[in-house]
Amino acid sequence: MKKTDDRFDLPQGTLDLLIMRVVAFGPIHGYAIAQRIQQISRDALQVQQGSLYPALHRLEYKKLLSSRWKPSETGREAKFYELTSKGRTHLTVETENWTRLTDLVSLILEGTLEGI
Amino acid sequence: MGWLRRLFFRERLEADLDKELRFHFESQVADKVRSGIPESEARRLTRIEFGGIEQIKEDCRERRGTMGLESLLQDVRYALRQLRKSPGFTLTAVLTLALGIGATTAIFTLVQQVMLQSLPVNRPDQLWRIGDQPHCCDWAGYSQDSDGEAGNWSLFSWEAYKLFRANTPGLQALAALQAGNMPLGVRPSGSSGPPDKANGQYVSGNFFQTLGVSAWRGRLFVDADDLEGAPPVAVMSFHAWQEKYGSDPSVVGSAYQINGRAFTIIGVAPAGFVGAKMTSWGLPDIWMPLATEPLMLGKTARIKNTRTDWLDLIGRLRPGTNPKALQVHLQGELQGWLASHLADMSPQEEAVWQKQTLRLSPGGAGFSILRRDYSESLLLLMFTACCVLLVACANIANLLLARGLKNQRQTAVRVALGASRRRLVRNALLESVTLSLIGGAAGVAVAWAGARLILYLAFHMLERSTWIPVQATPSTLVLLFALGVAVLTGVIFGIAPAWMTSHAEPVEAMRGANREVGGGRHWAQKALVIAQAAVSLVLLSAAAMLGGSLQNLEHQNFGFDPDGRYLASIGSPMLANYKQEQLVPLYRQIQDRLSALPRVRNVSAATYAPMAGNQWGHDIRVQGKPEPGPKDDVSADWTRITPGFFDTIGARMLAGRAINEDDNANARHVAVINQAFARKFFENQNPVGRHFGPASVGNAGTYEIVGVVQNIHYVTWGFRDPARAMYYIPQAQTVQFDQPDLQSDELWSQNLYNIVIWAPEHPANMLMQVKKVLSEVDPNLVMYDVQSYSRVIQGTFDQQNMIASLTWLFGAVGLVLAAVGLYGVTAYGVEQRRSEIGVRMALGADRGSVVAMVLREAFWQVSIGLGIGIPAASGTGYLMTSQLFGVTPWNPLLLAGTAVLLGSAALVTAVIPARKAASTDPMQALRSE
Repeated sequence: MKKTDDRFDLPQGTLDLLIMRVVAFGPIHGYAIAQRIQQISRDALQVQQGSLYPALHRLEYKKLLSSRWKPSETGREAKFYELTSKGRTHLTVETENWTRLTDLVSLILEGTLEGI
Repeated sequence: MGWLRRLFFRERLEADLDKELRFHFESQVADKVRSGIPESEARRLTRIEFGGIEQIKEDCRERRGTMGLESLLQDVRYALRQLRKSPGFTLTAVLTLALGIGATTAIFTLVQQVMLQSLPVNRPDQLWRIGDQPHCCDWAGYSQDSDGEAGNWSLFSWEAYKLFRANTPGLQALAALQAGNMPLGVRPSGSSGPPDKANGQYVSGNFFQTLGVSAWRGRLFVDADDLEGAPPVAVMSFHAWQEKYGSDPSVVGSAYQINGRAFTIIGVAPAGFVGAKMTSWGLPDIWMPLATEPLMLGKTARIKNTRTDWLDLIGRLRPGTNPKALQVHLQGELQGWLASHLADMSPQEEAVWQKQTLRLSPGGAGFSILRRDYSESLLLLMFTACCVLLVACANIANLLLARGLKNQRQTAVRVALGASRRRLVRNALLESVTLSLIGGAAGVAVAWAGARLILYLAFHMLERSTWIPVQATPSTLVLLFALGVAVLTGVIFGIAPAWMTSHAEPVEAMRGANREVGGGRHWAQKALVIAQAAVSLVLLSAAAMLGGSLQNLEHQNFGFDPDGRYLASIGSPMLANYKQEQLVPLYRQIQDRLSALPRVRNVSAATYAPMAGNQWGHDIRVQGKPEPGPKDDVSADWTRITPGFFDTIGARMLAGRAINEDDNANARHVAVINQAFARKFFENQNPVGRHFGPASVGNAGTYEIVGVVQNIHYVTWGFRDPARAMYYIPQAQTVQFDQPDLQSDELWSQNLYNIVIWAPEHPANMLMQVKKVLSEVDPNLVMYDVQSYSRVIQGTFDQQNMIASLTWLFGAVGLVLAAVGLYGVTAYGVEQRRSEIGVRMALGADRGSVVAMVLREAFWQVSIGLGIGIPAASGTGYLMTSQLFGVTPWNPLLLAGTAVLLGSAALVTAVIPARKAASTDPMQALRSE
């Protein structure tokens, strides 16, 4: 398998956040989630099936996502995921947390030596 | 419930999961095709990108949360399938486990009932006993010093009981029960048959109420029944009612003759209630109020005697009472009571009365003599049973390891296909636990049979009819115990194989093909064999030590000759309404009639005979010696005998003469002492002609010593202790003592409970003839037993016999298991090294050297096992010193013997695979490479 330098591993827990963000736009199946993440990140993030599906099942088990079978754009039946209300709250909170964390981390990383 | 749905719609979920992933796969392929890649290439690429689909599925299942339960069921099914597939292995393992778990559970059945159970009464936790010593049955005097410990009171007089009961606000109720037992002859009023023997116990009127027990039928005692002059009533135990009276409801309310006195049976105690005292020598069949004691015993009654302590006290605490505070309060009452008897005290008692004290102890389990007698032995048995279980565990671990090796490739494939290691380990553990649960279930059956066997060995082997309330049927707690042991053993013997599995390297296994891999397993197997050898040695040497000890006990010199002697035990003639003055003629008649039997050489009677389970003792004073200090031991045992006793029992006179026909009511009072008495009170002086008597000093001139007899062992304990001082007085002489307790003993001792018959030719129907003669003399005499004296002695060591037999049994099982283990490992090793051996033989090794090579290895393991086992065995010996008689824990001869036994067993088991190895055909072995 070829490995490109501009792809990198996601930190723990980030994948859940990305998935929920993508699902927040409306009911969507697993394959489309992977595609959408890849698209938005301009191919920098490629979600492996081996990580995607266990994550989806975990989120569903935690009742952050719900699922429904319905025909996809190609006509085949696919499993569509949706955010539950619990999931929506969770996403808001986690997004805030994430923003605060990254702000703080970059504040420290970008600070000049004099500032310390 | 989501998880429930998920559990039950597992197949649907599986299908969904599969469909979902396939959709992803197909979409990806479709995308690739759309971008111009030919379909077959697109599929190949997608498959590579996807990786292991099964692994993804497994991950998803795990995330779904029902993984635990769902896959558990799956794995159990898998484990059962595996076990079914190898019935030989399963059967061996289950049998081994059933033996191991069964042995442990059988012992636990007894441990639970003897040591852990509470009385079947209301709120046993509120019951407290006054006193903490297991004393029985009578104690005379105002001090209870024993073994150098300042008076710690455990037995009480009736007067003290009344006082405590009236003045202790911390107790809701305080009950008293006789510490000993009262042999009874019972028959329905108006019937003329011989009386049934029964075991009686005096209890206070509030006894049943205090314990919170209500009647099965009729009613139980109330305080009004326990008043002087109240109509005599009695309560029957459920067991006696069922066994002796066939649960006849008309028993309640009927009149009975108990020892010739008219009693009414007013009720039956509930099933399972056997009183507050657990003993191995008989539980009460009949309870009588304390107030009926004078009716039964007349002048010898103890109830009014303040010097005689004969009651156990058990009380129910008022909620919120602090036992410590109550103890202090009762100590004060005891002191107060003693102070009121200062005038009656001997100088020795006066010196120590202020040091007398008492302690409370939890009474919920009753006064368990059984517990005291058996707890050490039971713990020892528990230990040996656990050893057997350990050996069994090692065996099964070995079997599993060997099987794991065989299944190595399968395991490797499963790892390669994406089975998580956690799941594999769990699988292995689950399989062993499933196995041990099946073994445990079979073990419960073994335990039931085993407990029955032990009870039989312990209590019924010698035709002893004593009933004890211990059952072989497992209780809930026992079943839980078996379950716990099964799971624990499953985990213990499953750990090694599971660990090995978790380290399975798929690549290595695939590559290894036919070659031997995983040397680590070999090492583990050998370690297990070594452990087995060591534990077996411990078991065998423990068995040998206990067996040797039993031999020593049974064949020690008791100071008399049991050969050709018979012991008959009868109930008290006084209780059968004989008058004092009729006793001497009665025994004369018995003696004459028995002597007239063919081939009987001599007959003699005694208050109690050696090893008959009795002992009477008191302090004495020797004429012409200064008054002893409070710490001096001046006690001596005594018994009454008829002329010719020493000849009859086979004991030698050392000086002077024996008691003869001339020692009658008209002659001076004489006594024969034993050697220990002479040494204790007269050191090197000649005792013949000197005088002594029971304390106090006023009686010092009572008996004149006319002879010294060799020491005879009378009591059924203390075989390691020096001989006890003892004196013998003639049946025909009665002394008038001023002290009421001495006078009571003086009269009571004239009931000669034991008759010794000497028939050196061992006539065949001796026992029947003796019974017949005795019932001809008087059908009203209660006959207890006729036994040969060697049987009596054997019976004394029933318990030791049981322990030794069981330890031998456990040792044998352990040895067989260890041998099987060694065989398995050796045979397996030979199988693994077949090609190596083939090469060796092709290169010129002969059969002999191949055999030697295999044996060497087996012997290495056994030798290391012995190296560990020998110190462990003698360590165990030190731990059980209290159980040993005449056997030292460090016993090189015995250890060497057991080591040789183990070694030969190992040799036999290792020779079989060694010969098989030697018969390897080099060509064949190499070809199969």
